This record gives sequence, structure tokens and C-alpha cells, in this order.
Amino acid sequence: MADPAVRDNPAPQPLSAVVFNRGFRIERIAGPEQDRGRLLDLGFTPGEEISVTRAAPFGDPLIVRLRGALLALRKREAAWIWVA
Amino acid sequence: MNQPVPAVGPPARALTDPTVCLVGMPNSGKTTLMNALTGGHFHTANYPGVTVTLLRGRSKPEHGVPFNLIDLPGVHSAVAPSPEEELACSVIEGRHREVKPDAFILVVDATQLERHLKFASLVGRQGRPVVIALTMMDLLGRTRQSVDPARLASALAVPVIPVDPRTGRGVQELLTALEQRRGALNGGGTLAEIPADPVAAYERVGDLLRCGNCMTRATEVDAVTARLDNFVLHRYLGLPIFLIVLVSLFAAIFWCAQPFMDLIDAGFGAAGDRVKGMAPDSILLRFLAEGVIGGVGAVAVFFPQIMILFFLMTLLEDSGYLARGAALVDRPLAAMGLHGRSFVPMLSGFACAIPAVFAARAIPARRERLLTIWILPLMSCSARLPVYALLLAALLPARAAWQAGFSLAAIYIASLLIASLVAGLTARFLMSSRPPSLLAMELPAYRVPRWRTILKVTWARSSAYLARAGLPIMVVSAVLWLLANFGHAEKTIVAPAPMESSFAAGLGRALQPALEPMGVDWRVGVGLISAFAAREVFVSSMAIVFHVDSDDEGTQRQGLLAQLRGATFPGTARLIFTPASILGLIVFFFFSLQCFSTVAVVRRELNSWPLAGLQLLFYTGLGYALAVASVQTLRALGVA
Repeated sequence: MADPAVRDNPAPQPLSAVVFNRGFRIERIAGPEQDRGRLLDLGFTPGEEISVTRAAPFGDPLIVRLRGALLALRKREAAWIWVA
Repeated sequence: MNQPVPAVGPPARALTDPTVCLVGMPNSGKTTLMNALTGGHFHTANYPGVTVTLLRGRSKPEHGVPFNLIDLPGVHSAVAPSPEEELACSVIEGRHREVKPDAFILVVDATQLERHLKFASLVGRQGRPVVIALTMMDLLGRTRQSVDPARLASALAVPVIPVDPRTGRGVQELLTALEQRRGALNGGGTLAEIPADPVAAYERVGDLLRCGNCMTRATEVDAVTARLDNFVLHRYLGLPIFLIVLVSLFAAIFWCAQPFMDLIDAGFGAAGDRVKGMAPDSILLRFLAEGVIGGVGAVAVFFPQIMILFFLMTLLEDSGYLARGAALVDRPLAAMGLHGRSFVPMLSGFACAIPAVFAARAIPARRERLLTIWILPLMSCSARLPVYALLLAALLPARAAWQAGFSLAAIYIASLLIASLVAGLTARFLMSSRPPSLLAMELPAYRVPRWRTILKVTWARSSAYLARAGLPIMVVSAVLWLLANFGHAEKTIVAPAPMESSFAAGLGRALQPALEPMGVDWRVGVGLISAFAAREVFVSSMAIVFHVDSDDEGTQRQGLLAQLRGATFPGTARLIFTPASILGLIVFFFFSLQCFSTVAVVRRELNSWPLAGLQLLFYTGLGYALAVASVQTLRALGVA
């Protein structure tokens, strides 16, 4: 909403490529139909704010913050989530 | 086979009391609430056709309102559901054949209102009375959030009762609200108006919360969780911490359980001797003592390990660490086609494959769950330990105890590596048509463990293990005893038959042509067959076939070793137990699925005889082929 970090990033990029600890807004969800449906159902909906807090020690999965929850998301899955 | 499994416990009049299902997302505190509602009196119940165990119980009498309560598995999402989620969804939507809920208690995490209310809409649409139990209110302070239950109740038009299952606060109000709500026409309130499409649903949930002024959003992150995650998920510290947790688990499973296992073993031994002592010549009493009591003992001896395992797993789950552990190891496991959560069953597999197969239910993806169950027989279970100990003692000179310890460690590590290899190959070549499932796993906030719930759940799970695995092991053990003690003599069946003329010996001799390439004779064959009851039975049946009579275990073992070292093929001076044949046996035990109980449990979990049978044939065949290959290779290289 009033977060300036959200407005500074106009070009959509996949969540797997973003810098950590910065807020982004979800643009759209790509990926296979079923996985896309489940991600949407879990709360990864367009317009929602999301940030990546860290990566697990092997560099994958990513730990993301969404709607007050922490979720582990494989990079493969994060690449389907386009944010700006 | 389609008979419903009757719920144990509740009296007949309970059938007329309404059935209330506890539903919610994982980590919402459902089971703790179940514990509070029933006063800890719940048990596991199984239903035909599904592999999921439900917790069933009755509301505490002092609450005044009698309800049959069922705790359904947590549901992340009804899209592409796991077997557990599918069961919960089928009950919620009224598609389940036996569990027909009259009303729902919706367990909602106050810190995650949006996601939990989105799920709640599925329940609200069913038209049945719904009451919301709002949990985790005490965690709101951590993130400076606030939730107003009264406003939430009026926005949703369903009762919202804040509960703290640990203190019992709100439990009575919850049941009273539920009783008043019964018969309500629009049981789901405005939850029923939330659309099914996820994007529209979240929008609507957001509107409801905003218009009702029900909550303020979190203004800061949960500092406790963030601080702990700084260590637990740290780039360099994360894995060492995980290893420490694993090693402690192992230590607890093997060392802490040992005294109890010895005690149980001695107890069943004494009970058997007592029964035999009543009439030493009676074949019936010997059957009771050795076949039946011995069979029960073979199951019971693993009970301490299983209980400790379930206790620690429930503890790790409840505190919030288990999901982090799964996230930590997801990368290497995913490379083999497995899931982060596969580590729990794999770890359990080092104690016993049976609880490990149950533990695989926690894997929320079908493909990964199947693959995990497929490789579990390779994990070096503790029933193999006495077998390896005997074979390594026969292989290595007694003075070099460290060599045996080293070899054993190598066997354990090899089992993990080979299981990974088999998983990788299976995923690559047999499951390549199915893409990997989603991880997208919630990491719950860290919490102080709720000991009472953990103990109750541990007990419920452990006794379910006994009930499920106990019978097959007992039956197989009794049958094998009969085979070993009954035999043909002059065209009649006699008992007790000497080992050489027993049915078991007949089976062993029939297998002789197959045993020859492994470098062993029919007597070892008898041991291998009897090991299908439980692998460690190999040791005691070897003592029987090689005529070692001593009740004291220490001298029995020495006597057995001496007998094995001196044993020759009948009528020749050729030794049976050479380095080559012993290594062959170790290889055989390493791969072979010599455990009918595991086969029975896998059959049930996957609801498929072909898959369970394929697993039995694959691993036992692989074990045999590799054993023969190693014996013949060693011989060709000049090792006897």
C-alpha cells in the first residue's frame, strides 16, 4: 500500500530472481494448471504482497512471507510467481 | 472386506448423538483442541478404502452436551489434494460413505485469518452448522496484530469462540454455541457466500474482514520465530543443527530404548519358560510358549523404539522444527524425486519400516509418497541389527571389535546411499511421466510444545502400530513355528518332529538348488524363510537348526558362533560359513524385503496388492541376485 519498495519495481520478474527482504506485489501466476490452482488456493493471488526472507542452506527452497505466513517454496515454483 | 471397522469405545447410545468434525488447515491446533474437548480420551479409527487414521472421541461428560467428535486431517488446499486432504474434503462435502458430519467445528488460526477463512468457505458452503474456534490468540501479540472475535462473529454470521486448548478456556462456550447452533437454517453464515474461485474468494474474505473492522494486520514480524530461524535456517549453521537433531534422535531410539527392550525381551522369555515349565512334554504348551508368546514378544520388543520415535517426531512437529528440517533437506531429496518431508519416514525406517510407512502419510504429494514408501525397505531397520551382529561376528575375528563397528556403520551409510540411488533411478526411469509435486509448505511459528497432547498422540499412534502390525507378525511367527516343529514321518504328520524332518527343513531342501549359488545349504534356507516373520528371527532359528541348546543368551551366542564356524556341508568337509558366503548373506539381508508385516502394511497404505507384491519380489529378487553375484565374484577372485 504505502510501501515505497513496491512501487520501485515496475518490470515484472519471477520471485525466484528477486532480492531478499523486499516487498513485491504478485502480478500473475504461471506454471502447470494444477500447481497454479493450488498456489492460488494457498493465497498466492495477484495483487497480494510477498517477500523472500531467505534461502535454505542448499540455496533452495526459498522461504517467503505471504499473508502473515512463512512458506517454503522451491525455486522451480517461485519462478512461476511473477512479481513487480 | 467392505465391513466398516467399528469404532472401539463409545457405547451404543452414542450412535444417536450428533457427529461433529473438527476441520481446519494444518498447524491450526486441531489436535490440541480435540484433546481438550475429549479430556484426552480419543483413539485412532480406520475406515475401509482409505489409508488415513482419524482421531475419534466423545465430548467430556462435564461439558454437558454429548457429541461424537472426529478430528479430520488438516487441509492445505482442496486443489490436487493428498490422500489425507482428499479424505477430509470428502467428509466435508458429504461424499464419504461412513463419516457423515452433523456439524463442524472450524479451527481457525487467528494469526492467519485470511488463508484460514478462505479454507473455511469450503466448509461454510455445505449448509451444516458451523462454529469457529479461534486458536493462537496468544501469538497475536508477537506480531502486534489484533483480532476482534465479536466483530468477526457478526461479519461471518457464525459463532466465533476464542479458545486456548491448553488452559481449557473457551472449550465449554464452544460446545454450548455448537448446541445452540444446531438446527440453524443457514449454518455457514456469510462463509457460504464466499465464491469458490480462489482469487475472488480471497477478495471477498478481505472485504468481509475490512468492512466488519475485525482485525488489524501484523505490523511486525514474529521476532521469536525470526530469531530462531536465523539459526535453524542459517546458511552454515542450519545443516549442523539438523545433524545434531538427527543424531540425538538416533541416540534416543537406540540407546534409550535398549533397557526397555531388554526388559520386555526378558519378560516374554520368562513368560514362555513358565508356560513350557507347566508340562515340558506338551506340544500345545510349547506352541503357546514359543510360537504365540514368542511371536507377541517379537512385536512388543520394538514397542519402546516405536514409542520414542513417535514421541520425538510429534514433539518436533508440534514445536515447529519438523517443517524446517524438511525445508533444509528438500534440495537433495528433490534431486532424487523425493519430497522434503520424506526425511521423516526415511529416518523412521532405521527403526522399523512399518511406522515409517505410516509416517509417509505426512508427505502431501502422491508421487513423492509412493516413491518414499518404495525405498523404505532399504533403510537398515533395527531388526537387521542382530542379524548383522551375528554375521559380522562370524566374519571378523573377535579381537577386532572396532572392525565390526566400522562395518556396521558402513552398512548404515550404504543403505542410505543405495536407497537414494534406487529412488533417483525409479523417479528418472519409471515415474518420469509424472512431474514433481508442489512443495509450497507452511513453516509454522515456533511454539512451546504441548506435552499432554504430544503424549496422547504418541500413545494413540503407538497403539495403532501395535494393532496394525502386531497381528501379521504373530500369525507369521505362529505358522513358521508350526512348520519348524511339525513334519512328515512314515506318511503321518508328527510333532514334535526333529528339525531334519520338519516341514521347514523340507522347504529349505526344496530351495537347495537356489541356495547353492549363494554358497549355503538348506539349514541357512530355513533361517532365511523364518526371517520373513521378522528379520531377527534368523538368529534364533539358526540356533535351532544348528542345535545350540542354551537358554543363556551370552553362551548361546558363543555356542552358535562356534557351531557356525565349524559347520560343513553334509557329508563333506567343506565349510558353509566362509567369508564369501557370509558376505553374500549380508548382501541378501541388506536388499531383501524379508518382512511380511511390511508387505501387509504397504498393501494397506497403497491399497494395492500388485504394488506391495512387486516391492516384495523386486527387493527379494535383487537381494538374491546380488548375493549370488557377490559370492561368485569373490570365489572367482580366490576368496573362498
